[in-house]
Amino acid sequence: MLAVDVKNIKKTFISKQDTVEAVKDVSFQVKQGEIFGLLGPNGAGKSTTILMITTLLSITDGKASVLGIDVATKDKEVREKIGVALQDTGLDNLLTGKELFFTTCRLWGYSKKDSEVRTDELLELVGLTEAADRRVKTYSGGMKRRLDLGLSLVHSPKILFLDEPTTGLDPGSRRVLWDEIKRLRDNGVTIILTTQYLEEADELADRIAIIDEGLVVAEGTSDELKAGIGGDVITFAFENNVDLENAKNILKNTVQEKNELRITVEDGASKIPGYLKDLSSKGVEVSSVSASKPTLDDVFLEVTGYRLEGSEDIKQAKEESKR
Amino acid sequence: MNPNRSFIVQLQILTKRMLLRVIRRPLAELPNLIISAFFLFVYDGALGGVFGGNASGTPFDFAKGNFINFILPVSIVSASLSGAASGIYLVEDIESGVFKRYQSMPISRWAIILAPMNVGALRVLLQSGLMLFIGIIIGADPVVGSIGYLVVLSIAFIWGMGFAGYSVAAGVKSGSSQGAQAATFLFFPAIFLAPTFVPREALKGWLETAAAYNPTTYVIEAMRAVMVDGWELDVLFRGYLAAGLFAALTLTLAVLSARKATEKA
Ligand SMILES: Nc1ncnc2c1ncn2[C@@H]1O[C@H](COP(=O)(O)OP(=O)(O)OP(=O)(O)O)[C@@H](O)[C@H]1O
Ligand SMILES: [Mg+2]
Repeated sequence: MLAVDVKNIKKTFISKQDTVEAVKDVSFQVKQGEIFGLLGPNGAGKSTTILMITTLLSITDGKASVLGIDVATKDKEVREKIGVALQDTGLDNLLTGKELFFTTCRLWGYSKKDSEVRTDELLELVGLTEAADRRVKTYSGGMKRRLDLGLSLVHSPKILFLDEPTTGLDPGSRRVLWDEIKRLRDNGVTIILTTQYLEEADELADRIAIIDEGLVVAEGTSDELKAGIGGDVITFAFENNVDLENAKNILKNTVQEKNELRITVEDGASKIPGYLKDLSSKGVEVSSVSASKPTLDDVFLEVTGYRLEGSEDIKQAKEESKR
Repeated sequence: MNPNRSFIVQLQILTKRMLLRVIRRPLAELPNLIISAFFLFVYDGALGGVFGGNASGTPFDFAKGNFINFILPVSIVSASLSGAASGIYLVEDIESGVFKRYQSMPISRWAIILAPMNVGALRVLLQSGLMLFIGIIIGADPVVGSIGYLVVLSIAFIWGMGFAGYSVAAGVKSGSSQGAQAATFLFFPAIFLAPTFVPREALKGWLETAAAYNPTTYVIEAMRAVMVDGWELDVLFRGYLAAGLFAALTLTLAVLSARKATEKA
């Protein structure tokens, strides 16, 4: 049975001011025991998708099920099976970590005694034993995210939804969380996570769906996605703009990235000498050249038409040029 | 594991958790307590000399010789407005996302909504009780005897729950804790467009009319009846009726708006 099965779900927010199609058409399937990554920029519709599957938001159109249970009609049953850590985490700052775990255990129906045992287990699991008696207010961003993860694990869910679990964390804290998430997967938990970090999707997710403007624009394992681009990426760097502009005319089909030009071709390494010859015969000086396998970044560029890193600026520029 | 997710257990846990929040912010209790005590001390200081024992035999003898008895109800009504905290507590949880977390768990939504109401009720009882206690120390002495205190507290409780319901409705509707906080603004017309310092007969013109439409008037008059005048059943009845109707109205609004808040968008 599939852990999660999403078929053409759609979410339209209607308010007095306007109508927002936050999710236009999203479908994907998650097998049990895998980490599935939803990768997309700000505003892509990741959180909205997660909220719909976790029964917290109604689905405008389409169907979603968790372990074969329909999300819309059997929301109570679904909630029993899943753990959820949302993006805007609701943590009670005035309570201590220990109190939060204990309260959550009790709310899930554990007896007082069992709650105490489970609280200690979970504090240990997410590495907060030391800070257990401090108020959450005093926790660092990384500690809060770990606490949040721990709270979603209280009832030992088989399926875990994590909405941007590492956003805003430094690389070290991010690594700690990644290891934790992988360990959960190795213990049989299915994990659906969203992220706006390419390396996070690359590192963690067994399979990835790229989501942009409410649509899934690509799906597969990281390797499949990269292979889908076909060939290698050759990158030329130039000392000055004149060379760069000239090279653009000579090489054709390039993509510019600052002072670099990229071109995607089959069997890249063997083609470099030919390109260099063309360029130098026209007097264009190349400062460096390299061939590499495509990265997820290249995949993203290919399917969306822009790069994820710094996509904010690009989107903003797009908006402004519309005015 | 033998899951016990009965409504009562959940309500208990959520109430306890909210109480912890209150206890960890003791200073938040102060403003309303200070205002309530202020009414008691300052008005007794300012007016007690005139309308207290000295007024005996004059037409101004509405306090029947004990101005504390007369002014204590105002202080207690003011203390009962602390019930408005319910809405603030609830909206804080909505704003912080704690509410969403609870919704993602199999928890009764009524337990989520009733917990802050419980804590609001407790706050009303404690704050009103404290004012009553201070009143007793400085010389309150109801003409109907100690049972008068029970009457006063019970009316204050119903009245306070009315404010709790009002703050929940206003808070959820505005969706911000400022909105819930703004609800406490109702405090001014409620207290001052009423026979706060003198009996209603002494008010005149528009204020007399306003006071007649202000339910606070009947609440204060009922409390005053048992403190100053004795068992005036019609006055008492009007007091309970005014508080009861107000509470019924606002609690209905609270339930309706809270139900909406817990529905999926
Ligand atoms: N309640 C709502 N009412 C109206 N529009 C909404 C609502 N929630 C989200 N949106 C809009 O839907 C779109 C998708 O939002 P969503 O939060 O799902 O994006 P996201 O991919 O999670 O982005 P981020 O990386 O910033 O968290 C955005 O344009 C957002 O403004
Ligand atoms: Mg999001």
